[in-house]
Amino acid sequence: MSLLRGFLLLTGFYLLGESLAFILDWPVSGGVVGMILMTLFLMLRGSVNKDLGMASQSLIAFLTMLIMPGVVGIYFLGEELAGQWLAIAGSLVAGTLLSVLTTLWLMARFMPTPQESPHD
Amino acid sequence: MTELIQRWQALPAHLLETPLPAIAITLLAFMLGTHVFRRLKQPSWCPPVLIASAIVAVILWGFDIDFAHYREGAAWLMLLLGPATVALGVPLFQQFHHIRALWRPVLLTLPPAAMLAATYAAGLAWALGASREVIASLAPKSVTAPIALGIIDQTGGSASVLMGGLLATGVVTTLAVSLFAPRLGVRDERVLGFVLGINGHAIGTVRAFEISPTAGAFASLGMGLTGIFTALFLPLAWALIAGQ
Repeated sequence: MSLLRGFLLLTGFYLLGESLAFILDWPVSGGVVGMILMTLFLMLRGSVNKDLGMASQSLIAFLTMLIMPGVVGIYFLGEELAGQWLAIAGSLVAGTLLSVLTTLWLMARFMPTPQESPHD
Repeated sequence: MTELIQRWQALPAHLLETPLPAIAITLLAFMLGTHVFRRLKQPSWCPPVLIASAIVAVILWGFDIDFAHYREGAAWLMLLLGPATVALGVPLFQQFHHIRALWRPVLLTLPPAAMLAATYAAGLAWALGASREVIASLAPKSVTAPIALGIIDQTGGSASVLMGGLLATGVVTTLAVSLFAPRLGVRDERVLGFVLGINGHAIGTVRAFEISPTAGAFASLGMGLTGIFTALFLPLAWALIAGQ
């Protein structure tokens, strides 16, 4: 029952998120709105109860399996991408190298230096 | 007797009327894939999901099952992605004290980093002549899969291209961080973890946990925040730039 109660809570927050996104016509998925609502709800409550912890842990453990049917599509892409492989490879490899470089630089720049005493 | 043979021949079509074969194939391949991954000593360049999905592809090919048919059945399983995305709010809440301790660098780095990751990907793909659908599929390439799937639902990308892009991005991120971090003199595990999570989503986060638990916590944080931030800004930016 504990697992089911947790799952009901997760599904409830999903439905809440989906309803909010639909009513306000946000181009954001219901799951993401539900996740933000869940985080806010937990911050208000201050702790995670046993049911919710159990249900979320088991769902997160199977996340990989849930996205797998999408991944299988890679093997069936075929001709629809003909002529776009250079664009895809360039965007993925060069784009990722650039974004890692920028993020490292940004984060290193904003980190407090360890020897500096905290005075602000 | 001939009637029995006829019924035997009609069996696959009969079973495929329900989503259960697709679900069984997915569960089986996932378990086999995880097992093979452990036997291969957990290589970071080849995540278990790639092995497992290759197993699904082989089974579909072997039994001559149409991919579209499989995907229809597996959609029942993917329905759980909604509640699973909500479940990500729990670890996010649990790691919240990290944001509090380092809120300045975290909050200053995240928005430009997440925006640039999407902009570089979309911009390069556009400059190299990719179609609108491919650009939409590659833009959320640094976002964790369940959230990214929700994003392309809004922008009209292809799930298969997105998934391929996510895998490549995760692998290139782990390589890029080990290549660039020493050259830039970055040794702080919290920075390394955060950068891995922002750019390399779940694959980067797995790599960060290999560095240390602190790096792993920061990577999960980076992954979660990038996911939320991108899910909020990308569909809006897409609607503005690419039109409805």
